[in-house]
Amino acid sequence: MSGKTTKEILNDVIKSQNRTPLYSKEALAKIQASFESWKNTVVAEKDRKTYTVIPKTIMGSDIPRDLTYTPLDVADLDYENDLGYAGQAPFTRGLHANMYRGKAWTLRQLSAAGSPQEVNARIKWLLSRGSTGSNLALDLATVQMFDSDEPEALGQVGTVGVPVDCTEDMMEIYKDIPVDKISASIVTHFPRNTSIILPFYLVAAERRGISWDTLMGSSQNDFIMESVVRSAIEYIPPRDDFRIMNDNIEFIRKNVPKWNFVTLNGYNLREWGASGVTEMAVAIANGIDILKEQMKRGNDADFIGQRLAFFWAPANDFFEEVARMRAVRRLWHRILKYQFGCKTDRATWLKCHVQTSGVSLMREEPLTNVVRSAYHALAAALGGAQSLHVDGYDEAFSVPSEEANLLALRTQQVLEAETQICQVVDPMAGSFYVEALSNKCEQMIINEIDEIEKLGGLVEAVDKGWLHEKVMKYIQAEQAMIEDGTIKVVARNYFRDPNLKMPEIWVKEYDQKLADAMSAKLARIRSSRDNEKAQAALKALEDAKNSGANVMGLCVECARADVTKGEMRRAFIKAFGSWKSPIYS
Amino acid sequence: MAKTKVLMAQFPLETHNRGLITVAGMLRDAGMEVIMMGNALPDNIVKAAMQESCDVVGISTYCGGELALGKDLMDAAKKAGIEKKTVFLIGGIFPPKDIPELEKIGFSGAFLSATKAEIVDCINKNVK
Repeated sequence: MSGKTTKEILNDVIKSQNRTPLYSKEALAKIQASFESWKNTVVAEKDRKTYTVIPKTIMGSDIPRDLTYTPLDVADLDYENDLGYAGQAPFTRGLHANMYRGKAWTLRQLSAAGSPQEVNARIKWLLSRGSTGSNLALDLATVQMFDSDEPEALGQVGTVGVPVDCTEDMMEIYKDIPVDKISASIVTHFPRNTSIILPFYLVAAERRGISWDTLMGSSQNDFIMESVVRSAIEYIPPRDDFRIMNDNIEFIRKNVPKWNFVTLNGYNLREWGASGVTEMAVAIANGIDILKEQMKRGNDADFIGQRLAFFWAPANDFFEEVARMRAVRRLWHRILKYQFGCKTDRATWLKCHVQTSGVSLMREEPLTNVVRSAYHALAAALGGAQSLHVDGYDEAFSVPSEEANLLALRTQQVLEAETQICQVVDPMAGSFYVEALSNKCEQMIINEIDEIEKLGGLVEAVDKGWLHEKVMKYIQAEQAMIEDGTIKVVARNYFRDPNLKMPEIWVKEYDQKLADAMSAKLARIRSSRDNEKAQAALKALEDAKNSGANVMGLCVECARADVTKGEMRRAFIKAFGSWKSPIYS
Repeated sequence: MAKTKVLMAQFPLETHNRGLITVAGMLRDAGMEVIMMGNALPDNIVKAAMQESCDVVGISTYCGGELALGKDLMDAAKKAGIEKKTVFLIGGIFPPKDIPELEKIGFSGAFLSATKAEIVDCINKNVK
């Protein structure tokens, strides 16, 4: 690979293209003249003064907008090179020629909280009502890799998701669900909890006699989530976390071939506090660094690229959301093709799961959130998402109630079956505005990638605290704009009801019996398993940093020996040591 | 007069810290000194508040369990004898019906959504 940055490589590609702009010089000259005349005579003087504005919204990107757009704004647009057709490079218009006529996006709603048995029932309930994939949310203790009986887990077992301590729990959660036919998203956000939790799923399948070749699904496995976005009591160094992420990728790619081994997480970074541009720039920069690392390990980009997936957070700025999803598909294709030399189109696809924005939802008059989420979902569909979760309207109070969860699923179904948006592929294409905005988004994303590369790559940027700093500033500036009314939020600071009352919202009661049952189960497992085998598997994990053995391979051995997640977490700390987040003094 | 000193912390497993960062920024803006502790066990939060002689402890919670964990924290504060001289505040995502309960166990303020002015007022009113 050359020493050039991604931006330089792509600029060279554009320069070397034999470009055929959509509009002739003659037509453009005429439009230029009529545009000037329109703007200076028909548009009122006060509107001329504010012809270009910078919209302010939650998680906005400060991309300026004109009063209207014309062919002049997309004068150099080359149809074949920049847009083409759906199912064809550069995939701006979508990954498949028939898009949603062939298959609607996957309606994937999070399976909510409770015991392994309750969550098993909830997954079956969602599937019976037309959900086409499962999406497993883990409880807080599991996300942070603490056993249900550790002191830190007090009061948090089974909240926000399901507790998973060991292989047996995964057996319960997916009992009687055909995991070889229905894809499972397992929301292990971090490399470390992917190493720990996914093996429970794999070993559970193994115990049911289901071959790993048939398992379909995805895990997040993103070091940005663990080292940057996540708040935690302990961290491991970002560089080691990056290695663990890559160990997971390599293990899964070779052993569970239909599994999407990484979902590069724009979503949580954006929801933490970033613009849609930063969200995508960081995820793409991460993808670039992963591909470089995997190539160093002897895995080619075509092999790895096929299973990379992304996760976006569409929020309020409707057209920007559509535009950036189209733009980033084109950008990723070009990077994979020209920077990494991919030969198969499929490896250059930017596949994405989308969840509507949660931070944009408000506590004030929460039913208003149904409307917000519907627009977010519409943007995701028009942007060409592969899979969608719509937030519950009660997001700002609790994990979704059954009512809110069903309403979210119904929102998806109305979009899919009633609005007829699925009939036509990429309906936004050709709009002067959307195409100009897509170009602008692409350019801004690539500029931020360039900034990251010049800092020495994403791991280095994280280690230096660059991303932490950026987000902290963003969050505080946004809050100030909400408080002074620069950002309008309906029912909160814009037409707020002076007699506003907080609503009655259903909230799941804490279930101490579940915590007790999980503790009893842990005690039973620790006393009945082959402890010599368990200790040997843990010892191998503690040596991972020095031995260089694949971390997930070591964790699969732990899962087979019924080692628990807390035991594995402690082994990771012994192996890699701890790190201090720049957020905390 | 010495600057009001605030310890910003959250319960051990909390994954979110947007609220913590937002409020820390507001309080620094209002001229207070802020220590960002982040995630910790209730005992350790109380220990840090004593070591740093903090006037205020601010807790951010998003993931439920705020009553059980909040009670744990206030019990630790009572054991250490700081529950009267240190002001405890809590904010984040929890059901509105928990607010009176949180106030009963010893929090001087429990916020679901609050402006900078409301939080600063609450601190100024309660810090002696």
